[in-house]
Amino acid sequence: MAEYIKLIDLTKCTGCRGCQVACKQWNELPAEKTGFTGSLQNPMDLSYSTWCLIRYDEFDEADGMKWIMRHDACMHCDWPACVKACPSPGALVKTDSGAVVHDPNYCIGCKACIVACPFDIPRYSEHEEKIAKCTLCYNRITDGKSPACVTACPTGTLEFGPKEDMLAKAHARAEAVGGSVYPNNPKYETHVIYVVPGDVKLAALQHVNPNPKMPTTILWWKNLFKPFTLIGMGGVAGMAALHYFIKGPHRVEKKEEGGEADG
Amino acid sequence: MTNHWIDIAHADVIMVIGSNAAENHPISFKWVNEAREKRGAKLISVDPRFTRTSATSDKYARLRSGTDIAFMGGMINYAISKGRIQKDYVINYTNASFLVNPDFRGPADIDGIFSGLANGKYNKSTWSYQTDADGNPLKDTTLTDPNCVFQLMKKHYARYDMKTVCKITGGDPVLYEEIYDLYTSTYKPEKSATIMYAMGATQHTYGSQNVRSYAALQLLLGNIGVAGGGINALRGESNVQGSTDHAALFHILPGYLKTPTASQQTYEQYVKESTPVSNDPMSANWWGNYPKYSASLLKAFWRDADLETGYSYFGKIDNGKNYSTIPIIEQMASGKIKGLFCWGQNPAVGCPSSRLVRRALAKLDWLVAVDLWETETAAFWQTDAGVDPAYINTEVFLLPAAASMEKEGSISNSGRWAQWRWKAADPPGDARDDLYIMTELVFKLKELYKKEGGAFPEPILDLSWDYAKMGMDGHVHHPNPREVAREINGFFLKDTEIKGTLYKAGQMVPSFAFLQDDGSTCSGNWLYCNSISDSENRMMRRETSDPSGQGFYHNWSWCWPVNRRIIYNRASVDEQGRPWAKDKPVIWWDGLSKKWLGDVPDGGWAPGSKYAFIMLPHGHARLFAPGMTDGPFPEHYEPLESQVRNLISAQQESPVIFRWDKAVQEQVCDPMLVEGAAACVFGSPDKDKFPIVCTTYRVTEHWQAGQMTRWLPWLGELVPDMFIELSEELAKEKGIRNGDKVRITSIRNLEGIVAYAMVTKRFKPFEVDGKKLHQIGMLWHFGYKGRVTGSIANDLTPLIGDANTMIPEYKAFLVDVNREEV
Amino acid sequence: MASSREKMVYVSTAEERIIHWMLAGSCLFALITGLGLMFHSWEIIPTMLGGYYATKWMHIFSGVVFAISLVAASIIWWEHCKFVPDDLKWVSQAGGYLWEAHDLPPCGMYNAGQKLFFWCVFAFGIIVVLSGIVMFNPLPFNVTLARWAYMLHVMGVLVIASFFVIHLYLGTVGNPGTVQIMFHGWATREYCEFHKGKWLADRESKGDASE
Repeated sequence: MAEYIKLIDLTKCTGCRGCQVACKQWNELPAEKTGFTGSLQNPMDLSYSTWCLIRYDEFDEADGMKWIMRHDACMHCDWPACVKACPSPGALVKTDSGAVVHDPNYCIGCKACIVACPFDIPRYSEHEEKIAKCTLCYNRITDGKSPACVTACPTGTLEFGPKEDMLAKAHARAEAVGGSVYPNNPKYETHVIYVVPGDVKLAALQHVNPNPKMPTTILWWKNLFKPFTLIGMGGVAGMAALHYFIKGPHRVEKKEEGGEADG
Repeated sequence: MTNHWIDIAHADVIMVIGSNAAENHPISFKWVNEAREKRGAKLISVDPRFTRTSATSDKYARLRSGTDIAFMGGMINYAISKGRIQKDYVINYTNASFLVNPDFRGPADIDGIFSGLANGKYNKSTWSYQTDADGNPLKDTTLTDPNCVFQLMKKHYARYDMKTVCKITGGDPVLYEEIYDLYTSTYKPEKSATIMYAMGATQHTYGSQNVRSYAALQLLLGNIGVAGGGINALRGESNVQGSTDHAALFHILPGYLKTPTASQQTYEQYVKESTPVSNDPMSANWWGNYPKYSASLLKAFWRDADLETGYSYFGKIDNGKNYSTIPIIEQMASGKIKGLFCWGQNPAVGCPSSRLVRRALAKLDWLVAVDLWETETAAFWQTDAGVDPAYINTEVFLLPAAASMEKEGSISNSGRWAQWRWKAADPPGDARDDLYIMTELVFKLKELYKKEGGAFPEPILDLSWDYAKMGMDGHVHHPNPREVAREINGFFLKDTEIKGTLYKAGQMVPSFAFLQDDGSTCSGNWLYCNSISDSENRMMRRETSDPSGQGFYHNWSWCWPVNRRIIYNRASVDEQGRPWAKDKPVIWWDGLSKKWLGDVPDGGWAPGSKYAFIMLPHGHARLFAPGMTDGPFPEHYEPLESQVRNLISAQQESPVIFRWDKAVQEQVCDPMLVEGAAACVFGSPDKDKFPIVCTTYRVTEHWQAGQMTRWLPWLGELVPDMFIELSEELAKEKGIRNGDKVRITSIRNLEGIVAYAMVTKRFKPFEVDGKKLHQIGMLWHFGYKGRVTGSIANDLTPLIGDANTMIPEYKAFLVDVNREEV
Repeated sequence: MASSREKMVYVSTAEERIIHWMLAGSCLFALITGLGLMFHSWEIIPTMLGGYYATKWMHIFSGVVFAISLVAASIIWWEHCKFVPDDLKWVSQAGGYLWEAHDLPPCGMYNAGQKLFFWCVFAFGIIVVLSGIVMFNPLPFNVTLARWAYMLHVMGVLVIASFFVIHLYLGTVGNPGTVQIMFHGWATREYCEFHKGKWLADRESKGDASE
């Protein structure tokens, strides 16, 4: 299957939240019991039953009022930290399409993915003892359709297509509007990308990691300490064996030299 | 819309004024964004508050609620004084050159009013043209005669200089100048700009004039009839265009025919008075065909009655009497209306001064509510509504209705496309589609009239209603909407030969040009004639080809009139038939085939042989509009409830609005009516008690009075509570924090309503005439029924309507806000 | 056996042995389940234990037992495992395990190597337990802290597990006569003289000899 990208053009978003509702509809996610939040943003954060959310940020700046609406959902990393951290094979899978998919049948609710995610996306349910997040509508895209949010988007903010096309489009659009593409880290590619207008400071927005990458601690954990547990144990066991063969067991000598046991 | 949704993509400048299109017409932004991306179009948002539309716009300007005409007057003045008008267009296609009666006087002459004002009404005898012997207007195509429309207009709007405009609107002159410059840059023939407007424009006491001001500016810039131009009313409901076309209003019949009045006792007289006459051979004067349309309509109602008899069956309205929402409320409150059908309507939430509405409902003998859910209206008698059911004697019937997906039929969108929709699912339980309910009602009425006689039974007994048969079980079986659609299109009632072709009785009328004035054709709505042919229902077409490449999609559904996608399109070309804009032509004349190509033209006549605006008797678009009740040129007045003296003239509010607050006081009505109709007018002693301007609006997440959205968990989740928006400055003054509960009061509701406060930077106080003026905004989606509930905003809104249309003033009135101690 | 019994010394109390085996057992079980969760190729472990979800909970519970045992172990062995100056001498000669040592001081209850193992288990055990608590529910914690917890957990396991192997070797085949102590608490007098000379001398000077 070809690799896909979901492109989010922030210059076009009007914050209508069609995507947010379409996501719930397609994925059959229940509504949350919400209350007044003091903002249009509601619910205020992603959750087990809210996989995609429009976040609203207001800034009163010298060059005028700004009200940024941002579609926030899983970024579908090309080298996903969540998959790396996940202990249960099949619970989080990076597919050929680029979609990082979770399977509740395999999820054991360990929450490692939540910690590992550079974008703080997966959400845990105490009740279900599982995590959930956007799947890029894997069950739609394998059927040749766009994700539900993209299909619902009335303004052209969300687009879905082959990776190369979307990348080219994003960069061309960013150039045309004097903006940038996010994330723009060749070492940490994602299958969701944003076109960010030039006058928007990403770091000032809610829930944005301006410099996403594989967390170093996760790398050390998985790439260093994990193999070293085996190397360490195996190495030590090998040395013990060598010791046994070379020096032999440390027998108690009848009232002679000192010597010890244990260790 | 004069144009259609897709055509917005052709605009070079898009101004959203009196509308929050991004929120309330989200799909429009597909095309707005396309224009911006592909054409480099600029988006202007003009609004009292910073909306989601403003957030995505290139330029945003503020104006105080109710000052659109000042803003637009300033722009017209800018265009005229800078010579930014498309001169050929203005001379040839508008009435700019017409010479007006020298006795005509305007606000520039008599301080804020037009000549002829007496007793709250205009005698419009001076609002007329100087005519030649044939009755055709005299013209000065040099536009220099002081009595020509252009000069009068110039004089009228010269008063709207930047300083005055900004003093009135509270706007920023630098920004206004930038916007005026940007917008009027489309006066060049090859450029076009579009105006997207909605209820923010119309729901004022001078709402019609707001729209006229857009039309006048667009005509000066040559932006009507062209691609990417027009004035585009964004309809707030998916089928509100259809409901208007089919006359869900008291003053029109289907196809915008006129409702007969009591003084028109014969059909002959009605037709004579309704049909405009022009002696100018260049004027197509399309409404000259009026008798064909009215005769066909009568035949659609009563197939077997002759025209005079059929006409006698029609209800007639008393001359000069208004039967719109506000008078209905007043009549209900006065106990004169005994029964009410609320069909997909929730007046207990949606109507102005809705507390009065709910009290008035209690005076009815019976109320029938037809809706998907139990609405606030259907439940007005319950404890949820804050009343004791023991004291309410109204008998209420709630008929469960089918949702749009549960029935078949057509809907007409803002772009006038009539699109057929098929039924997707059966309605739940006992819910029935509207046609079923109406058909059963008609049959039962016929039965009763047949049995019991009663006063004037013939209109019901003779009514042609052959969409279904009554079953043996006494119920209607499968009324067929396709039969209704066939009748709306119209068919021949007897064999008729037209231009050498014989049409058999029962054959569909091919288009309205074939309708007859002798009763040999029927058509439920002449505008929809051509929607169905003998072989196909064109509304069902779903072909996505666009041979012209101009986004017409002629084979996708069908659009009135005769599939014309942009109306007034004869104005999109010069006198030789060459499009003003080469890159986005609407129609063009092919000299070889002697035919128009492109869109369906506004009449097939050769270029230059007929005036462009064929629906008007003089064939010219009106900059000067004597048909208006409140003046031929839009003039700024203050809203009825205002904290600001009218800074452009001594006339504070529109002189011809009907003052319900005064009328009910004079009649010594029920105190509840006096309270519900009260107004806090400028200069009244109550003015200081309600110092804050308030406006009401919708959000994307809910729809209208909320009966369709507040029951849906996913939508309730997004906006779960009633809230108001206010500025940080006002919040500070009043000690209100974001998320606090506040109580909002108006003179009609001293008790007030409670809502959450959203304190936001998007609201800012206005500086008007050196005074700080606060404005708040509130949603009007909430009520006491549904999964999510909240206070009813319209419990505060004034009972006052537009001078022309009586559309209620929901957008500018006075309130006070205070923190609710918990 | 009575004759040999007379030569036996009661080295380890029942409490000590129970705590030792709790600590050892929970550590080993946590290690096995943990490895099963960490290495997807070792699917056999979770499969045998009834799946990943069950394995997760077994790991967590064995961690709890480990934590309790660790506290108990530190209470009973804290005093015995304090380092004394002679330990340096012992360490400098690697306890005689790697080359011939002629100057080994007699040890107390435990030699320096055993003490080192205790402190190692104690220190890294705390790290593993604390990080384990964070991993059990990382959501209330700062994400950086939580990520460190995952890394430190595995790092701690690496250290403890490696020492564990040494311990296993030296406690069994590496030092015949040792493992029995952990079963019945008795060691031969020769064994004690050889391995715990100072301890035995102290004990006997107090008149508290074997049976």
